[in-house]
Amino acid sequence: MPPRRIDPIGDESDSDVSIFDDFDESGRGKGKGKGKGIDRNKKDKGKGKAKEQPYAWEASYTRSWDTVQEDEAGSLQGAVADLIARGRRRRLLAPAAAIRRTIIRHLILILDLSSAMMDRDMRPTRFDLMLQYAREFVTEWFDQNPLGQIGVVGMRGGLGERVGEMTGNPQDVLKAISERHKLEPSGEPSLQNAIDMARASMSHLPTHSSREILVVFGSLTTCDPGNIHDTLAECVKDRIRVSVVALAAEMKICREFCDKTGGTFGVALNEGHFKDLLFELIPPPAQRAFARASSGAPANPAADLMLMGFPTRLPETSAAGLCACHSQLRSAGFLCPRCGAKVCDVPTDCDICGLMIVSAPHLARSYHHLFPVKPFQPVMSLEGTQNPSVGCHACAAPFKEQTAGAAGAADGVSPLGRYRCAECHNDFCTECDVFVHDVVHCCPGCGK
Amino acid sequence: MDRASHLSTIVDLSPAQWTLSGSAPKERHSLDLQSFLSQLLIFLNSHVACKDQNTLAIFGALPGRSVMLYPSTTQAAGSNSADANTYRPFKVLDSTVIDSLSKQVEALDASETEAPVGLVGALTKALCYINRVAALATENDQTVAVDPRILILSVSPDQSASYIPIMNSIFSAQKLKVTIDVCKVYGPDSVFLQQAAHLTGGSYIHLDRPDALLQYLTMSFLPPPSIRQLLAVPTQDKVDFRAACFCHKRIVDIGFVCSVCLSIFCQPVPVCSTCRTKFPIKTLQRLNAARPTILTSAATPTSGNASTFPSSTTNRVATTNGNGPNPNGVR
Repeated sequence: MPPRRIDPIGDESDSDVSIFDDFDESGRGKGKGKGKGIDRNKKDKGKGKAKEQPYAWEASYTRSWDTVQEDEAGSLQGAVADLIARGRRRRLLAPAAAIRRTIIRHLILILDLSSAMMDRDMRPTRFDLMLQYAREFVTEWFDQNPLGQIGVVGMRGGLGERVGEMTGNPQDVLKAISERHKLEPSGEPSLQNAIDMARASMSHLPTHSSREILVVFGSLTTCDPGNIHDTLAECVKDRIRVSVVALAAEMKICREFCDKTGGTFGVALNEGHFKDLLFELIPPPAQRAFARASSGAPANPAADLMLMGFPTRLPETSAAGLCACHSQLRSAGFLCPRCGAKVCDVPTDCDICGLMIVSAPHLARSYHHLFPVKPFQPVMSLEGTQNPSVGCHACAAPFKEQTAGAAGAADGVSPLGRYRCAECHNDFCTECDVFVHDVVHCCPGCGK
Repeated sequence: MDRASHLSTIVDLSPAQWTLSGSAPKERHSLDLQSFLSQLLIFLNSHVACKDQNTLAIFGALPGRSVMLYPSTTQAAGSNSADANTYRPFKVLDSTVIDSLSKQVEALDASETEAPVGLVGALTKALCYINRVAALATENDQTVAVDPRILILSVSPDQSASYIPIMNSIFSAQKLKVTIDVCKVYGPDSVFLQQAAHLTGGSYIHLDRPDALLQYLTMSFLPPPSIRQLLAVPTQDKVDFRAACFCHKRIVDIGFVCSVCLSIFCQPVPVCSTCRTKFPIKTLQRLNAARPTILTSAATPTSGNASTFPSSTTNRVATTNGNGPNPNGVR
């Protein structure tokens, strides 16, 4: 096969796409909408401004086709495999230090329902894509934050509109955003009205829980009744963290909201990047700096010791009894460990003695954020290791014998495909390395 | 029905517990390791026989570590001469399991036989294995190894210290849609394994007659989960949703929880040991006042040896009694 020249535009539209779809969204050079225009601009005119960083929010955006190198045979396979391995390891290298995380979370999801959402620069429309990702976001969010609550507010026709009440039940939230015809976009959005509404619905929450607002913003304008900087000041005062995912471009007021309240701001470059930006907000945030500053005082208002009960679950087959919450005759339920009252569902507060009843698995779901698995060290060479293991310690897949080329040596990628746990000195394959850190959160060798 | 299924079996091989199980009086229907293994092998053979594409992996939880018994990493099974009277896959399976098992048991040091078994390691290895099998299947665009499940044959009591890793494994099993079945052959009910079976939709069975193990296995654990919906598989009557506290690894039913990191403590503490948060002194006083008095006296003697597993029933009774007089102490 003759060596093939890599053409940036041609490459982005065929072979690269399928691979980077899954593994390296941010590195994907898809030229939908703005991206494409910029590329042409760069190619045709090569003007200084468009050359390196066309827009401020694209600064961290690397063009994968610039970094891909062919090997001697002119094949891209090695380079692609390397990129995939790199993309997998990228997240694992993030510091696993921040142990103070807010775990009882309250989030208001603000969805832009203005006419700008009917734009088709994201397929099928911004609006449909937003709804689809919002559903996935809610499911994943509740999976990782079982004690959290989500409310939904829409921005439409210059008003803030309550779409779903704050609730801890993922089904209720999903139901609120499932009916597309009720959310049909129209008119102008109003950032101030929506944020004020979100703020008001979170004002009664206890201090030890987090208050967050996530705005999905497609419009480039906002139509506000007053001074939005007052709203910003109120949010800072109430310690509400505002994060914005913009679909069009960076707006100064959005950036300011995020910077001042400690949230994150991002502009979605393409469909995959949009999803990445949303899903980055799922893990519980590390506690903010100024909350820690106030903990210097003897009593930290942001933290408290809570009394919680772990109930016993009664099966469907047990003798029926009246539940304490609805006074209905039911056989299934949970028994309060302190007063023995029967409640229908957990987590809840016992109606008789007021004890907070949670099931232990609810709490345990969050523990992997607190006790992360230490990153495995890539094994660079087998020198100095006495009789190295033949296969992966976890899945027993045999390791490859030869090195995978010098290109993979940097960037925390092992040329041997071996990753070693610092505690138990067992070797794991790439597959298990990622699986252990992303899903299991427990090293098979040392059980920690 | 027509799909193949994958079964990962985890065998608890604690020498101490098996000795106890084998030496129990005959009228209690005791089961020793030898007959356990022969009954287990029949069950595994019947799993292989059920369908051609059925796959099997066996993991052993030994004191302090865990190993994969089958498929064997070292190729030894081929050396066995064919037996005219045995179906070859059965022969390979049986000899591999027995070979690697005896090798592992011989390698055991007498000093470590008392150590707790590496159940967590075996469980995570089983998950990693299933993950790899599933990844391979999607790569080759086959639909092998659908309905993966894990069967745990347990004889050891709960180890409170491994609460977090076990829960993490359970959640990843949920994510992978792996059903975890638990067969408690000997010993008291295991709180963690009950939760594992409940959360993943498997069944937890505590054997009343351990010597009839094979019958329990074939009747309840042989059919894959998709068929079990049509069958009346024994279910759990009560699931215990209690957790182990972080300070003494004791199993508690009322705990004190840090609002920042959700660490559970069995008594009010001024500073969270996990995230170093200081708690307001007012809360401490309030909680101390509301605390049942009996719990305090019960807690002091056991606090010295953190690793002991307190009998769940006595602990439970103590708390309920202690809470009787002042049910509205807090709030």
